[in-house]
Amino acid sequence: MKFLKVDMSQKTVTLEDVKSDYAGLGGRGLTSTMINAEVPAECDPLGPDNKLIFAPGILSGTSAVNTSRISIGAKSPLTGGIKESNVGGTVATALGRLGIAAIIVDGQAAANELFLLKIDRSGEASLVPGDEYKGMRTYALVEKLLSTYGEKNGVLCIGPAGEFQLGSASIQASDVDGRPCRAAGRGGMGAVMGAKGLKAIVVELGAKNSEALTDPEAFKTASKAIVKAIKENPFTGQILPSAGTAALLGMVNGLGAFPTRNATAGQFEGADNISGEKLAEVITERGGKTTHVGCTQCIVKCSNEYVDKNGKFVTSSLEYETLWSMGGMLGIDDLDAIATLDFLADDIGLDSINAGVALGVAMDAGHKKFGDSQAAIDMMEEIAKGSEFGKILGNGPEAVGKHFNHHRVPAVKGQSIAAYDPRGMQGNGVTFATSPMGADHTAGNLVGEYLTGALNPLEAEGQIEASRNAQIAMAALDCTGFCLLAEPALAAPGATEAFIELLNAKLGTQMGIEDYTNMGIQTLKAEKEFNRKAGLTTKDDRLPKFFYEEALSPHNKVFSIKDEDLDSIFDF
Amino acid sequence: MKIRVKLRGTLPHKFPEYDHQQGLDIDIADEASVQDLLNHLQLTDSDKCAIAIDGRIAKAEQKLKGLTSVNIFQIAHGG
Ligand code: SF4
Repeated sequence: MKFLKVDMSQKTVTLEDVKSDYAGLGGRGLTSTMINAEVPAECDPLGPDNKLIFAPGILSGTSAVNTSRISIGAKSPLTGGIKESNVGGTVATALGRLGIAAIIVDGQAAANELFLLKIDRSGEASLVPGDEYKGMRTYALVEKLLSTYGEKNGVLCIGPAGEFQLGSASIQASDVDGRPCRAAGRGGMGAVMGAKGLKAIVVELGAKNSEALTDPEAFKTASKAIVKAIKENPFTGQILPSAGTAALLGMVNGLGAFPTRNATAGQFEGADNISGEKLAEVITERGGKTTHVGCTQCIVKCSNEYVDKNGKFVTSSLEYETLWSMGGMLGIDDLDAIATLDFLADDIGLDSINAGVALGVAMDAGHKKFGDSQAAIDMMEEIAKGSEFGKILGNGPEAVGKHFNHHRVPAVKGQSIAAYDPRGMQGNGVTFATSPMGADHTAGNLVGEYLTGALNPLEAEGQIEASRNAQIAMAALDCTGFCLLAEPALAAPGATEAFIELLNAKLGTQMGIEDYTNMGIQTLKAEKEFNRKAGLTTKDDRLPKFFYEEALSPHNKVFSIKDEDLDSIFDF
Repeated sequence: MKIRVKLRGTLPHKFPEYDHQQGLDIDIADEASVQDLLNHLQLTDSDKCAIAIDGRIAKAEQKLKGLTSVNIFQIAHGG
């Protein structure tokens, strides 16, 4: 495997063998280990010393299903700590097939210079001046790039928010239909890309797999077992393909943990108008797609295509987190408005979660009324314009809270929570507080535990352990390139063993479950170490005060996990 | 007693006459439990159902008495 090193100061692109220190690593394990080892922890995240690393998972590029995730890591301008944000689409598989373990972007182009990184199917890579793409939104940008370089390319790119280097700026990935609708949203990775002077990475698809498997037969057998497990699991085999992640909305709302109107209530009275069931009904009536493949080699198909009353494409994929951040969190129960806001987030290149919560804080502070969807759309356009107030909004909820001197900011380490109120799902609060990534549901989400009744979401007991286990499991999974939405299928008898067999058959290792778990632990250790060097302390592992003080309806609970318990979570 | 049941996830697919707005109106014994309701609807373990009552996941033996409506979910995981 090779590293593709891009020096934006010198405008050089070189291909190097993977150093032995990084052998066998992939995805988040690789980005976090490398950032901890090579990025000065106190550097300016938007300066030349930060590295922006794109690492496909260990299994990306193989024939295994649902392995098209790429980890994008850097020091985050939003959290001030380490960040890994991962996304599907088509690029991870393409890079894996080219034998590229990571693209490492270092240095910084001069202000006002903008480039594309073009990689063809033979692995030849070059920086191309990108002045003509300056200021472009992502849909127009990707359309132009695909018409210039051909439809058979995958794109990772930034929109205006990335060029403005805003804390909520995402890196958008094109899906299998060539739409930039999948987001590495969290942590402001788009701002780092913008600061480097890189507008897009364009990767030609269709390279033949250059990396031989160590044991092709074992790989094939294990692959079949994974396909079977995914198909037979009711969540991955039925619920996700028909309702997508939006299926969660009714359940989380039903449990009173759906943060509503900037987390002032746990249930949204308009939930039935924006639920997964309603979404599927509207999409079906209008001739859109309730089932859609978003990422290469996906057999789960959690994605959808939302269309307007005339059947015209509005956005893909309308997911649970955005139905919340642009819906319940803003008091908006109009699917058309939420779909427009989702499209704008993708098009401007914004994390729909952080941006939605920023709008929610502005509404809570009295800037606009909750439920005013036009005001929400106008605020998104303000961000795209790059006005003074637009930049405040685009820098996320903490910047908005400071601007309005408003203390109800549901964020940890500067990053907004996701669609689970910590008072209604205490263990998700533990994850939000303690994850080295800032508040991030993908770091260790316990909603499945709560719905099965395995854990009481409202009591402190058992939450630390459950969050720890989930955080370790997610850190390990994020190394592999396997989609976390397919992961529940690994609970089937023998499926986890088959999954580890895939890794062994690829790498030629003899890993067991303990070694696999250790991969997650080592990744978290590297992340915690970097954050410590960057100056983050246990004080940063706390939820905002109002979660401890304001009881959430309908259960009238506050967040009740003790500080010392939070501090003990990573005692390993 | 009469109880209105709203079905979530893929559960409505099992009831061709199901109306999303109305849900299903069921006549069930006054002493019926959560499990009795699932049995009545012929929903089994493989349907991965969960019922939330008063914002809490209900146990199989919990009685339905006094309720006029319930939501039956399918267990999902976060992404
Ligand atoms: S389940 Fe969804 S996010 Fe995961 S690979 Fe498939 S389309 Fe992409």
